[in-house]
Amino acid sequence: MKIDRRCFLSLVIGGAVGTTLTPVPWKLTDDIAIWSQNWPWTPVPEDGPSKFVKSVCNQCPGGCGITVRTIGDRAIKIEGQPDHPVNKGSLCPRAISATQHFYGPSRIQGPMKRAGERGQGKWEKISWDEAIKTVTEKLAELRTRGKPHTVACISDTDRNGSSYLLDRFLKAYGSPNFIRTPSSADAQELALYLSCGRQGTIGYDFRKADFILSFGCALMDGCDAAGQVMSAFGEQDKKTRLVQIEARLSDTAAKAAQWVPAKPGSETVLALGLGHVIVRDGLYNKAFIEDHGFAFEDWQDDAGNTHPGYRSLVQAHSPDKVAKATGLSEKVIESLARSFARARRPVAVSGLGSAAPVSLDQSLAVFALNALAGNFQKPGGVFLIDEPDYLSWTEMKIDKTASAGNQQPRVDGAGSERFAHTRYLPNQLPEAINSAKGDSPVQALLVAGGNPLYTLADTQAVEKAFEKIPFIVSFSTFMDETAEQADLLLPHPHFLESYQDVPTPRGMAHTVISLARPVVKPQYDTRPTADVVIQIAKNLGGFIENAFPWKNYEDFLQKSLSDQWKTLEKQGYWSDSKSRDTSLDEIFRTASQRFEFFPMSKLAAMNGNGNKKAGVEKIELPGDIAKMPLVLVPYISMRISDGAVANTPFMTKTLDANVVLENDVFVEINPKTASEYGLSQGDKATVKTQAGQAEVRVNLFEGIMPGLVAMPAGLGRTGFSDYIAGKGANVYGLVAPAVDPASGLNAAWGAKAAIAKA
Amino acid sequence: MTQQPQHTKTKRYGMVIDLDKCTGCGACMVACYAENNVPFRQDESDKMRSLNWIRVMKVDNGKPFPDTQVCYIPMPCMQCDGQHMQGHSPCVSVCPAVATDYDQTTGIVSQIYTRCFGCRYCMAACPYHARKFNWWDPKWPADMEKYLNPDVSARMRGVVEKCSFCYHRYQKARDKAYVEGREELHEDEYQTACAQACPTNAITFGDLHNPEHSVYSRSRSKTAFRLLERLNTNPKVYYLSSKSWVRRKADNYLEGENFEQIREKARKAAATH
Amino acid sequence: MTTPAIPEGVKRCPTRQFTLWLAVVGAVLLWGVYAMFLIWYKGLNQTGMNDAYGFALWIWADLAVIALGGGAFFSGFLTYIIGKKELKSIINYAVIIGFICYSSALLILALDIGQPLRGWFIFWHANVHSMLTEVAFCLSCYFAVLTIEFIPLVLENPKLDRIPFLHHLSHNLHEVMAVFAATGVFLSFFHQGSLGGVAGVLYGRPFAFREGLLIWPWTFFLFTWSAAAVGPCFTMLVTWLTEKITQKKLVRPEAFQLLAKISGWMLLTYMIAKIADTWYWAAVTAPSKGFSLMDFYSSNPVYGIWILIAELVICGIVPALILITRKGRENKPLLVTAAILAVLGVCINRWVMVLQVMAAPLLPFQDWYMYMPTWQEVATTILPVAYGAILISLAHRYLPVFPHEKELNPGQ
Repeated sequence: MKIDRRCFLSLVIGGAVGTTLTPVPWKLTDDIAIWSQNWPWTPVPEDGPSKFVKSVCNQCPGGCGITVRTIGDRAIKIEGQPDHPVNKGSLCPRAISATQHFYGPSRIQGPMKRAGERGQGKWEKISWDEAIKTVTEKLAELRTRGKPHTVACISDTDRNGSSYLLDRFLKAYGSPNFIRTPSSADAQELALYLSCGRQGTIGYDFRKADFILSFGCALMDGCDAAGQVMSAFGEQDKKTRLVQIEARLSDTAAKAAQWVPAKPGSETVLALGLGHVIVRDGLYNKAFIEDHGFAFEDWQDDAGNTHPGYRSLVQAHSPDKVAKATGLSEKVIESLARSFARARRPVAVSGLGSAAPVSLDQSLAVFALNALAGNFQKPGGVFLIDEPDYLSWTEMKIDKTASAGNQQPRVDGAGSERFAHTRYLPNQLPEAINSAKGDSPVQALLVAGGNPLYTLADTQAVEKAFEKIPFIVSFSTFMDETAEQADLLLPHPHFLESYQDVPTPRGMAHTVISLARPVVKPQYDTRPTADVVIQIAKNLGGFIENAFPWKNYEDFLQKSLSDQWKTLEKQGYWSDSKSRDTSLDEIFRTASQRFEFFPMSKLAAMNGNGNKKAGVEKIELPGDIAKMPLVLVPYISMRISDGAVANTPFMTKTLDANVVLENDVFVEINPKTASEYGLSQGDKATVKTQAGQAEVRVNLFEGIMPGLVAMPAGLGRTGFSDYIAGKGANVYGLVAPAVDPASGLNAAWGAKAAIAKA
Repeated sequence: MTQQPQHTKTKRYGMVIDLDKCTGCGACMVACYAENNVPFRQDESDKMRSLNWIRVMKVDNGKPFPDTQVCYIPMPCMQCDGQHMQGHSPCVSVCPAVATDYDQTTGIVSQIYTRCFGCRYCMAACPYHARKFNWWDPKWPADMEKYLNPDVSARMRGVVEKCSFCYHRYQKARDKAYVEGREELHEDEYQTACAQACPTNAITFGDLHNPEHSVYSRSRSKTAFRLLERLNTNPKVYYLSSKSWVRRKADNYLEGENFEQIREKARKAAATH
Repeated sequence: MTTPAIPEGVKRCPTRQFTLWLAVVGAVLLWGVYAMFLIWYKGLNQTGMNDAYGFALWIWADLAVIALGGGAFFSGFLTYIIGKKELKSIINYAVIIGFICYSSALLILALDIGQPLRGWFIFWHANVHSMLTEVAFCLSCYFAVLTIEFIPLVLENPKLDRIPFLHHLSHNLHEVMAVFAATGVFLSFFHQGSLGGVAGVLYGRPFAFREGLLIWPWTFFLFTWSAAAVGPCFTMLVTWLTEKITQKKLVRPEAFQLLAKISGWMLLTYMIAKIADTWYWAAVTAPSKGFSLMDFYSSNPVYGIWILIAELVICGIVPALILITRKGRENKPLLVTAAILAVLGVCINRWVMVLQVMAAPLLPFQDWYMYMPTWQEVATTILPVAYGAILISLAHRYLPVFPHEKELNPGQ
């Protein structure tokens, strides 16, 4: 049969019509719809038995109790632990989204050694044995050459078991160079030591205080103290008066009953001015000062020399002068002083989670306000918390090499004659390395916690110093900025898959130890840093090996914590409220057994550095004011992680479009200042400081003092993952350190800056 | 919108958010993402294409330094009761395929992702921009699929989603109560992820009909208000603020109108429901 | 014994010229098709839409082409139901234009949904309260009617007409065409209205919301009315354009005049109703929700009061006045200008009822939402134009679209 065109067409059309009469097209339509409802690339989470495991968040020093919901061996969601004494169920976004980091692309999945040039991102997988052998050999070699002191270790804490073991290792090995990364509380802790004779932290009873005077503390902006402060704020009735002193209307300032926008850098003067009014009007706690104060009035030392007391010191800070320095009105200063002094349970807080470091003078001046109120060791007051004593130490013997090494001066200059009482000076490290002639004074660097290449001020100088260090080991859990520049990666497990002890967080008014524990099985080929250190010690042998009689970290924790371990295993935390009711007679451990006011402490602090002149009230920022007429100040936000570990993608997702737009970060500028520089909303601009420059966009904000440029801290990452890196610029890289002559610590409250339309 | 059998007592689940307590920390948003398997992308700065079931808006009083004040306003789905309180919320009545519905027993507006075919009419209808479209296929890099919550299904590209007041938590609590032979749920048995996560307890959640729940009295307080009340959408999300300028920003008023008076009238009217 | 494909007695351009023209338009069509597949493959992220713009360019294009395609139902109504025989001269063309408009609308709708594979849920899980459901049902039914109205014309192609079955089918269809026309008119009244209802029922959107009659907001009636008024203008405009391009007379002048006159009066009455509606909305509806008229026409880069004036006066009252006056409509340039203005007017109306609704902020702390379509959206919106041009070219070449072409162009 010949099929002609007509026949063919009839067949096709007939076939088409016929098919529609069968169920085939209708079934297909239905099937396609069902397929679209079950696309194989849209995941279906597996169900299983659900559990809630108590643990603690370990991403910042805040120490918030968490409850992790697990399904099978999967960590699903992190919620606040309602009965945890620190945060009572409150959590910041970072803690809630920690599972993203845990399972995310930023994790280092096993030990690796550098395969290309430093920073090239080429890595070769190696075994743990090989990794540990490499470190052992390097350390053994340095020791043989008599240079154990050229080994340095950087850690973000000196308070948990892991950091104690590291410090112990260095001592047994022969290096004095255990360095803690900087935090805004450094000066405050030094002030505590100088005025009260105690190494530890200052606790504030935020839940019961009726007046909180915060000198720029990021109480509700940053996460360090957020868990405790926000849960306290949630509990408080509206009678609690929070006063925030800050040049920018931060979230803390926005929630405060009163926002006091003093010029940045003038906080010390303001605190002394408030002291002036309180002393002048006789509003201070006379009983406390009589019984427990020292150097309030002028005093004589043993040699018979007269020194000015606090009363004399604040004499010069009359409200009119303070008004000039701070930009506030005399009325505001007077009334602030009076309302603080008249409050029943006032606390004055400084250096708790603020974006910029504070000077020793500011810490002392603010702390002195608490002494004027005499509100120590009682509900709603200030509590002095010791360093953790839960780790019971076995004695250790060290050999001659170690002993000689430990005698060497610290590479960062802390504890030297000049800065006798300062324990760590991380910001002096880059300078010490960069200015050294010949070999770097640091031949091997162990970075165990912390991310110095990101968090230290003046990134360019830090990078230069790191280039000079021949051997860098990173123990980081994540591919952070420091790990990127390391030679060897020995990844530490995430806190959701390992044991980690968390000591009392800063600001807490009583001792709390929490325990992070394996919520699920380890995801990758990681090892706790402490386990690695114990192994290296064993490999090195001799006295060093003998100093580490533990199998591993868990064994160490169990033995050290003994009785507390059971409580920790059971409820996730161990709390000691005894520290709350110590009588005032025993709390001050200074030479005078009293709270020592400003002048003597200052003398003590400056002992040996030749600077006897009182009054470093304002830290001068480096740079030429003519070329850089503005001041760049960092600010921190609860939604941006400013520390060693970057944001989670969820946190970045919460940011407004006038904080980060595509890859640009916005700086906040007062519209008045912006118009002086011809800048309008959203404009691209360049910010220049002595330390560097950055491309930014402009966000006009009425809530910032004219003359300032505020930039969020925590952006401009290069490490982690594509979800995190490449957004904005690192503000700390733009701020050169300004050395506090009293402590040696960095006290740069900002950086002189210029801005121009790009 | 079908009538439910009368043997269960009708609930009106709602939220009261104290703006004096909200610090804008973003914990509610992040808790919501984690609870509800909300995906994320490398660049989320286009806020009009960013999946958020609850967004925290930053609002200022427009005054120059140093008299500036800011206030954060968290905005979940308002779970509108609609005109005449009958469940004809702006979105439910327009959905051509009944992919979104008003549950008469709880007052919660649901969204059925497998039913929705992405016409986005509901998004055009919602005055709060509470509804979000899946512009992309969701993707969880590395091992992140492991943290997905099995109680909430992941959404595919091309459908609309929104806050469900964590309805899966209601189902779980209800099932538990049923097994235990109870009809009523305790206040703390059913809480949304955002209310649970709010670190300052700014967000409270419960049955607006039940005097034992804190939202009952809080929603009837003098400083309570809702957003865009004059549109008659009858939201079940209430706000509290001691600041008059904040209350003023919640709705539109003509020049010369006394907004506090209008608000007070609306508040009293709402309280009678 | 080959039958020519071109109808008898009319002259058409050489095949080469025709092919060249098809190639040019076809290239544009392909561009659109490419964009279309890109959108289906990658999803709606290829557009400029966002969560503030759930509805955008495409929905506007839908509303606009359906309004312009209204010429089909209204001419049908006038021809078959009122019995205006003069319009027989143009009714075929009106049907073709309608067919193009409606098929384009359906295509765009299939693009505009996030899950096209489930598009049929609108019928299967229909929500009777939704205006969009009403639109979907009426639109598909009316499209079926238009297809049925179009088929007999296709069958009149000399080659097809030779097949006896098709010849008889065509004949019988012609017999019952009035019934279909009536059905089409009925359906059309509803879906044109429900398209108006789509925006008018949005009580959460004070810019769009209108009070109304029973379940229908005033926009329901205004949309039907405006489609009936402007649809014929568009038919006239396309016919005039076809005449210009083919350099022939295709339609009797009486048909033009009658259509213009009716269109003019419809437009005038529509404008009166529309102005009354706008006034009531501005004076009563919007203020009751706290908005004053100028809130909707200020603080943004595009939507000023000019757009309201353009819609109501320049593209409303002015063309209406031209069309109702004999002198106006008998002057060809004026007539064409009026038709263009009227078409523009209805396009502006559909634009503001979609795009400006989405743009206007609702909360006092929000800003206007602005939108810019991507090339993919633009290409797929132009796609129907190219497709229409091709279909018209083919129809004109191979089908006896204009019954009076032979008598109007003697000697060809």
